[in-house]
Amino acid sequence: MFVQVCLYFYCKCLWRCLKFVVRKLTGRCELQRICYNTKPGAARTMKIEASLKGSKSKRLQTSVSVHPDAIEKTIDDIMELKRINPDINPQLGVSLQACLLQIVGYRNLVAEVEKLRREPYDSENPQHEEMLLKLWKCLKPNSPLKARISKQWCEIGFQGDDPKTDFRGMGLLGLYNLVYFAERDTGIAQQVLSDSLQPKYRYCLRVEKNYSFAIVGINITDLAYNLLVSGALKTHFYNVAPEAPTLTHFQQTFCYLMHEFHKFWIEEDPLDIMEFNRVREKFHKRILKQLQNPDMALCPHFAASESLINM
Amino acid sequence: MGLLSILRKLKSTPDQEVRILLLGLDNAGKTTLLKQLASEDISHITPTQGFNIKSVQSQGFKLNVWDIGGQRKIRPYWRNYFENTDILIYVIDSADRKRFEETGQELAELLDEEKLSGVPVLIFANKQDLLTAAPASEIAEGLNLHTIRDRVWQIQSCSALSGEGVQVTCVSDDWMCK
Repeated sequence: MFVQVCLYFYCKCLWRCLKFVVRKLTGRCELQRICYNTKPGAARTMKIEASLKGSKSKRLQTSVSVHPDAIEKTIDDIMELKRINPDINPQLGVSLQACLLQIVGYRNLVAEVEKLRREPYDSENPQHEEMLLKLWKCLKPNSPLKARISKQWCEIGFQGDDPKTDFRGMGLLGLYNLVYFAERDTGIAQQVLSDSLQPKYRYCLRVEKNYSFAIVGINITDLAYNLLVSGALKTHFYNVAPEAPTLTHFQQTFCYLMHEFHKFWIEEDPLDIMEFNRVREKFHKRILKQLQNPDMALCPHFAASESLINM
Repeated sequence: MGLLSILRKLKSTPDQEVRILLLGLDNAGKTTLLKQLASEDISHITPTQGFNIKSVQSQGFKLNVWDIGGQRKIRPYWRNYFENTDILIYVIDSADRKRFEETGQELAELLDEEKLSGVPVLIFANKQDLLTAAPASEIAEGLNLHTIRDRVWQIQSCSALSGEGVQVTCVSDDWMCK
């Protein structure tokens, strides 16, 4: 234990000395070097984030959690602190600002998503009810819902006659995601739903090979939420969002994950629905592995997102 | 006989694994109970597609708890998990009065299963934290539990959400071991 502590401080000291020497040799601080040597996107933003968090200056450490409105002021402070002349390095301020907008935006997105997740579905709330009915209309435009409490909900993959109990730990976030998918990516959503309703047979016996659309949507919401909170989605968001990533980016990621999961499920060809958690775990690992590549962007396939890709 | 003898057997051979099967209708609280038993976070639960399994160490026993989804379309798969079950835990949402009949039917069918014959059954009258929850005694009467003669059974009120009653049952499980 003692040896490890010593080693830690030794490495830290060595790293600081190295930075000092490089700074003296190149005449540039670490932030400058990152911006000059790394192309914009996740690779650069993640290095900047690590550099700011690991800085010995309190001002730099706290810069990753400032209010979005205070970012310009923060950039000025950093430039001053690092004695960088903005007239000689005009691009640096712009680059740093873009990075900081992404870093701060990601933190705020985590908070926003967490707030939605914590808000339980409330059938007394007309807005919640309206969204739920909208989900039905987008997925089943040709068959009207006969009653609010109805076995029909099972047709889109809820468990019983009232979907409210299925949102559970994902709260409104699950509903928001499903509605976004059904409304903005209607074709794919309806395709995934109809695939999930095709009866499957083995030796002339019917088997439950299909997952239930809506509750798997809530389950994939949990997967997307975990990717976001763990920071794994930074790669993706820092590559696709030109400035702060927003809820829309998150929901597009959800659509992508739903579509990919569906293809993965068909490829895996599970024996029956009881293999769901095994397949989900495998899918989760695959996405995590993809996100380790700093150039990775989980590009949603649909038109709505094209304007957002900033590569 | 039943639970007593099984658990007595467990006591004489410590380190023995106990296979517990958790069943009940959808939204009864099976996964929450599973996570509560494993002392895990219960705030991110989603409906179970398929099943979950957790191994919990409790007082020298290794409890392998199988939590199978309760959705109607998954219920035909319950039977795949009956083999070698030591204890059946049947979870009921005590506030969902409209489905008491449905849950009673499912339980009755389980108790008729040959592969589960003689397997002790513990019934959790869950969600006692809700004001509208029916007390365990009322559920026991409604489900005619007193007519069960072929096995040891027990009904226990609990709230998987708050953890109340869940640990008590572990203790009473334990008490029955002795």
